[in-house]
Amino acid sequence: MKSKHTFIAAVEIGTSKITVFIGEYSGRELAIIGRGECPSHGIIKGSIVDFKKASDATQTALLQAQNEAGEDIDCVFLAQSGGHLEGFYNEASVNVKSADNMISQSDIRTVCELAKAKMLPEGRSVVHNIQRPFRVDGRLVPTSPEHLMGQRLEVGYWTVHGQKQRIADFIHIIGGGNLQVREVILSSLASGHMITTPEERQNGVLAIDIGAGTTDYVLYKDGVAHTTGVVAVGGAHLTNDLSLGLRLTNDKAEKLKLRFGRAVVQSKDKNDRVWLDGNFAIGDRQFSRQTIEQITSARMWELLEVVKKKLGNAFTPETCSAGVVLTGGSAKLPGITDCASTVFGVAAHLGEAPSWLADNLRDPGYQTALGLLYYSLSGKAGKASASAQTSGLLGKISRLFSNS
Amino acid sequence: MDLNELPLDASLSAERTTTIKIIGVGGAGSNAVDRLKMENLDRLQLACINTDSQALASSPVQEKLLIGKQITRGLGAGGDPEIGRDAAEADREKIAAAVKDTDLVFLLAGMGGGTGSGASPIVAEIAAESGALVIAFVSMPFSFEGGRRLKQAEEALRNLRQICDAVIALPNDVVLQEAAENETVLDSFARADHWVGRGVKSIWAILYKTGLINLDFSTLRQVFQHRGGKTLFGLGEGSGENAVNDAISSLKLCPLLHVPEFSRKADRLLVNIVGGTDLTLAKVNAIMSAVGEQFGRDANFVMGAVIDESRQGQVEICVIGTSDMGGRPVPARRIQPVKTKSQVSAPVAEAPFTEELIPQEEVPSQAIDKSAKPKSLKDKTAQHEFGFGELESRGNFERTDRNLFDGQDLDVPTYLRKGIKITL
Repeated sequence: MKSKHTFIAAVEIGTSKITVFIGEYSGRELAIIGRGECPSHGIIKGSIVDFKKASDATQTALLQAQNEAGEDIDCVFLAQSGGHLEGFYNEASVNVKSADNMISQSDIRTVCELAKAKMLPEGRSVVHNIQRPFRVDGRLVPTSPEHLMGQRLEVGYWTVHGQKQRIADFIHIIGGGNLQVREVILSSLASGHMITTPEERQNGVLAIDIGAGTTDYVLYKDGVAHTTGVVAVGGAHLTNDLSLGLRLTNDKAEKLKLRFGRAVVQSKDKNDRVWLDGNFAIGDRQFSRQTIEQITSARMWELLEVVKKKLGNAFTPETCSAGVVLTGGSAKLPGITDCASTVFGVAAHLGEAPSWLADNLRDPGYQTALGLLYYSLSGKAGKASASAQTSGLLGKISRLFSNS
Repeated sequence: MDLNELPLDASLSAERTTTIKIIGVGGAGSNAVDRLKMENLDRLQLACINTDSQALASSPVQEKLLIGKQITRGLGAGGDPEIGRDAAEADREKIAAAVKDTDLVFLLAGMGGGTGSGASPIVAEIAAESGALVIAFVSMPFSFEGGRRLKQAEEALRNLRQICDAVIALPNDVVLQEAAENETVLDSFARADHWVGRGVKSIWAILYKTGLINLDFSTLRQVFQHRGGKTLFGLGEGSGENAVNDAISSLKLCPLLHVPEFSRKADRLLVNIVGGTDLTLAKVNAIMSAVGEQFGRDANFVMGAVIDESRQGQVEICVIGTSDMGGRPVPARRIQPVKTKSQVSAPVAEAPFTEELIPQEEVPSQAIDKSAKPKSLKDKTAQHEFGFGELESRGNFERTDRNLFDGQDLDVPTYLRKGIKITL
């Protein structure tokens, strides 16, 4: 039986850390059998700046995961983020050919090809074509419109494209270890799927994954991804702001951020001061708690405002009734849900990993890599049944993993 | 005969003819010069260069230069650096006459507008051609002024860095940061000019005041011999019982040093201490070791200490550092025969005090350097590939692509761009 099993690696090369999960797919179910993690080097704001260092760190994480799994990886699903990613919307429509107005397979194919045919600027390549629901004579059709009756068939795609070279950089890193990248998947889609439920996606929900170097967001409407985007600002910017504002080294600023950073200012007392190290060592300094909160909250507020501005008309509180869901390492910043609900004017909550997931995998920082595994499944299991099956499948995963 | 008893007679000081000229270019530059005029520093020559005749007319400065009259009809450059540049090009002779026979030119200008951004590189060029040492103090526009002015300002800053011996950029966002809540615009700009003024005064004091440890013009020139690099500039003040400690901590918090630790290191460092007659060598020592620890790893130190009777019980520290940018060959500046004769039979204590950083400190710092940051050398060479005309407040993201959104660079701290005042 063993020979039939495929070993899938989900790799997220992030700005702060590289996460690898290895899943064993038996044809019926998927089990996570290995995990590898390594602090990133040579990556700033989601883009590779030092290939050698980034490559070394990735190989370390891959090796660690392979050792834990005790198996070789067959194929890799890779998360893609970075400020160079952009998206646009393009739609097309066709008149239904047949005389009896029944939509045929060929009508669907034609309209899809037309809608995807938009040329890209030089040096860019497509990462994803995300299909929005079909419309037949203006009526929304959530599934395939085949055999439906209508005059006019419309479809639109949200096309995400990025700089060819930057995407190639990521693929080369994996390729350097003699592994093959099966598919490149947008980080926002991967994590967004983990932290939202099908009901939320149907009602409209905005999932924001705030990492160290980038913030990836995806807006779901009518059950599918409507708009995605990346802002090249993340937790590292909070640290940098603190280091500049308080004139500290990066490491110390990072420590302060983790201990005292907040997304909304809470401290009202100007004279409330906190120690940098708190170990009574010489050179320890005191800082105003309010100052730290001001710096971090200004950044977080602005970051969410930028996301809102980038979404533009696509986001309205009415069409996003399930609210905002936050995840990613920087979503651990206290007060972030208050900040988000004020900015967006809808309810906000932290993304909860599905309840069946093992405790050691519930960290917001893992959701992207776990989401990649989900995607690897949906590709194999067939799109229609994927959502129905996964809860059961992944249920197995967690149990297996917590035992191992 | 003891050299220390040699009288500093009139004939000796009369020969010392280092001339300093402060030139304000454009509106912001002229305003700064006007404010300096009030300070009444002797032997300091002031001049204003502008394209706007109306602004010039209201200036109390004696020497005023209207440039590009044929081009702008004396109505200003209208925020276009091209016009500013053309105006300066058209009146090269006028400018050359103004900078003739000066040893040191301080250029004050506001970047982002027309005259300041366009004309000041030309003025700097003419001054440098005539053999003067050119130090520019420029202010960078507020973030709220929008992306276009920022772009113009950065372009101009890049140009200036190629020409001037030192360029000290003062982002106006920092001024905003320092401003108290109900401070008027006038006061805020006055504060910005005050910083520039203190910098100018400190260098002025180096050259003209009696030194406990004296510096002369050629030493100053030595510090600035490489062009194109970044210049760090900081001031600290203290008074009262803990004057020295206060001055050191105020220097550490100086808003002009609003850059993260790693870029605060300089290759050559000029430290000038101004104090009253109660300034002791022990205090100088305390200051120097603190400054060395903060700014220089293997820096080439030049230090000076000046006694000013009017500043009893006070200490002011001024730090100017320059760093080379990678291995880029910078054409060595032709050294003009220095006109000062102060080196002749200078008393022992007045000898230029140039020393390597205290050796026993240097060893551990290098050792740490090698183990913890083996990339530092590589970083340095990588630095110049990206150009260095940017604002210096991007910190860790300094060497990455700009992160532009709505005309603002998101890598610059939010609180700075939005003018949120923080207390330290």
